[in-house]
Amino acid sequence: MNLEHELRRALTRTDPPAGFDDRVLSRIAAGETVVSLRPQPRWSRAALPLAASLMLAFGATYYMQQEHLRQEREARAHMEQAARDVVLALQIASKTVAAAQAKVEEMTRYEPTNDN
Amino acid sequence: MLTAAAPPRAPAPSGDELLAQARVGSETAFAALVREHQAMVFGMACNFLHSRAQAEELAQDVFLALHQNLSRVESARHLVFWLRRVTSNRCIDAVRSAQRRREVPMDTVMDPEVAPHFGDPLLGDLLRSLVGALTPDARIVVTLRFQEDLDVSEIAAVVDMPVNTVKSHLRRSMEALRRKLADRGYL
Repeated sequence: MNLEHELRRALTRTDPPAGFDDRVLSRIAAGETVVSLRPQPRWSRAALPLAASLMLAFGATYYMQQEHLRQEREARAHMEQAARDVVLALQIASKTVAAAQAKVEEMTRYEPTNDN
Repeated sequence: MLTAAAPPRAPAPSGDELLAQARVGSETAFAALVREHQAMVFGMACNFLHSRAQAEELAQDVFLALHQNLSRVESARHLVFWLRRVTSNRCIDAVRSAQRRREVPMDTVMDPEVAPHFGDPLLGDLLRSLVGALTPDARIVVTLRFQEDLDVSEIAAVVDMPVNTVKSHLRRSMEALRRKLADRGYL
């Protein structure tokens, strides 16, 4: 069977019922009009998917930017905390060293020497 | 004896002449244009919608739209292109509107009087039914290819689709039709 040949035989032009032209003319005479279907320009078919893609891209960019800022804030807070910890440790160490030094000085000041 | 020769019959006006007369308001010329093209428009609608009643309504709307837009039609050749394009758009729009309204899909409503049949009537009915099950875009491409015998580039111009999309619709439609016919033992 030749499918293309059979399709040509199945899909033929067909005459409408008798009086078709009269019915068209009587609708025109009655002043009927039809709404013109304006074929959508090709770009408009892509408008909705394009808008959705842009929204998604914008949303994703905004989210990534906010996430990046949050991570930066967290990193800065960690660094500041670490700096504060180092300063505190240095302060503690410094006080300890100072106390030890004072003790040593005190001991050396009052301890009798063997020379006397 | 002198015999009166029959007066030569005036040649039928060409499509361009009819169009020119219709443009200046001749109802007779417009009716002649309708009669000249009604089988093409009604046939496309019938093959697409599978309902003579819906096809007649749609075909009438197409000719009403033509009457409203006669000034835009440049020639008889352009008229055929214009009618094919408007009929295609209205067919697709009718199916999509019905789908949006969640009506019974038109492709399931088979009208037994749709078209005159030659050859195997069962095969013809089956083929029309299978074509009716294609997507609206594929269905109009197949209708224009086999009813109107248009080539791929002509179809692309009528339905405003890229040529490759038309080729793809045709290829996939033919594959689907072959597969379904094979399932029913026709191939």
